[in-house]
Amino acid sequence: MSIVQQSDADQARDAVSTDGSTPPPVARPPRRRALLRFAKQQPFGLAALILITCFVVMAALCPWLAPYDPLEQHRGSIMLPPSPEHLMGTDDLGRDVLSRTLYGARTSLLVAVFTMMLGGVVGILLGTVSGYFGGSWVDTIIQRVMDTLMAIPSIVLLLFVAALLGPSIRNTVIALSLLVVPQFNRVTRGEMLRIREETFVEAARAIGCSPWRILTRYGLPNLLAPLFVLGSLVFAGMMIAESALSFLGIGTPPPTPSWGRMLSEGSASLEIAPWIAFYPGLALSVSVLAFNLLGDAMRDFLDPKQHR
Amino acid sequence: MIGYAIRRTLYGLLVLFLITTFVFVVLRLIPGDVVRLQLADAPGVTQAQVDALAAELGLDQPVFTQFWSFISGAVTGDLGTSFETRLPVTEMIVERLPATLELGLLAIMFSVVLGVPLGIISAIRHNSFLDQSLRLVSVAGISVPNFWLALLLITYLSIWFGWSQPLVYAAPWENLGTNLAIMAIPALALGTSAMAAVSRMLRSSMLEVTQSNFVRTVRSRGAPERLVILKHAGRNSILPVFTLLGLQFGNILGGTVILESIFSIPGMGSLIFTSVQMRDYPVVLGCVIFYGAVFIFVNLLVDLVYAVIDPRIRYS
Repeated sequence: MSIVQQSDADQARDAVSTDGSTPPPVARPPRRRALLRFAKQQPFGLAALILITCFVVMAALCPWLAPYDPLEQHRGSIMLPPSPEHLMGTDDLGRDVLSRTLYGARTSLLVAVFTMMLGGVVGILLGTVSGYFGGSWVDTIIQRVMDTLMAIPSIVLLLFVAALLGPSIRNTVIALSLLVVPQFNRVTRGEMLRIREETFVEAARAIGCSPWRILTRYGLPNLLAPLFVLGSLVFAGMMIAESALSFLGIGTPPPTPSWGRMLSEGSASLEIAPWIAFYPGLALSVSVLAFNLLGDAMRDFLDPKQHR
Repeated sequence: MIGYAIRRTLYGLLVLFLITTFVFVVLRLIPGDVVRLQLADAPGVTQAQVDALAAELGLDQPVFTQFWSFISGAVTGDLGTSFETRLPVTEMIVERLPATLELGLLAIMFSVVLGVPLGIISAIRHNSFLDQSLRLVSVAGISVPNFWLALLLITYLSIWFGWSQPLVYAAPWENLGTNLAIMAIPALALGTSAMAAVSRMLRSSMLEVTQSNFVRTVRSRGAPERLVILKHAGRNSILPVFTLLGLQFGNILGGTVILESIFSIPGMGSLIFTSVQMRDYPVVLGCVIFYGAVFIFVNLLVDLVYAVIDPRIRYS
């Protein structure tokens, strides 16, 4: 496990034009056909996509899917093993593990989505600016700050920030964003440095486009492919990071069901009731696996070398 | 070469300074007064007592003065004094360091010993069923959270084999057997993702190298496949793995925080975890800087080794 795959950035950057040339901005085939091609070429990617869809549906519909209230405690049914009434058993407070796992998907997904929105937007903005003005003092300052953030081991940084801010979902999102920003910044900056040397950017500059227009009209659209790959891989990392924080007791506060906290609650009674920690961990691993597989598949799909 | 080494070292020091500044500023910006926290238990504390304690801890000084005195101390290896134990922070870190380093090195060793052969096999049997399964296993290895893996190992080793770990930690020089019995599971859990990452990286870099012209030449001259893979291709494809290991070291260092707390290993991870909870600022500050320093140092080392092995990158 790793909180942030530090090599994700490199992998994502390799996704497009490993041979140093940009795919020319030709008319793309309709999106539906691209999706079909993806499904045909990347069976693992398709499986991952299906898994992720299930996961999102689970998170969205958990009030209707969950057999019990995830917070309701039953003193009479403590640590029951899995049975037809409680498919995943009950925990030390008599709460239904299946229902809590379903609701945990919602927490995990929400935190990761908000983190990606906050950290992704900031990272992409900083990276775009940094890459466009590559080599200038703006670039230097931004890169030094990013290097600093990346030089602290991710959990240590998370622990530090999250513990100081106090446990809440909002603060978890803020802390996690600090890990996301440098990743997006790196990939965006690298791509921007490449794109700004392209002839079409030169042409745009020659006809008098403002830097803002060049960035939004020519920069960002060409960044999308590697950013999707990175996004999928980082998303997986953020789900692990959220549960790691909750596991340490400084992420999602109780009683909100969260996979990490369920794991740490279950770790107290591993030998008598292993199911309490087993199922949330399984759910977490499978969803992280799905996002990693999707990222890999997208990278292979977008890699021009693979088409030869 | 020497110029490159000096440049990289200076840059490492700059980043370390920036980390210190960042952590220091964040610590002082966050509300939550350590003085009040320490006196919270005692009712009827007077303002004079609060002021006295603040003065004793140096918290009544302006932030800039505090920062300056910290930096000038840090340069000489003095990271301040713990609010809680009143011991020098450097001493506390040095005491906790061996356990964390041992855990980290065991994890790295595990990842290399298993990851390198798996990567080579995957590359040789490119696109075979074995390769596909190994790839899936690698992605799974990267995806499984290490704390869950550790919990699973504890549970099922004890349920299926009746094996459980020693309860009391022993340093390797006290009792090596007990020490290794305690370290085995966390090192395994911690090394799994690095192992998977190593095998993935080695697979792809080896595939790239084996398709290059010089390997074709070696093959056409009739070199046995064993020699081609292990000597010619191996040497060239191991380079990215070095870089990867340097970066993975950060993840492993971070992972020790959780695993040490699960396994009650008295290392730096559990030190920073308890210090953060107690708002023992000097210890937190010292630990974060120390973690940063170790990470920067390891990657500096990787870069330098890389430059020695591969002369092409020295001037870039």
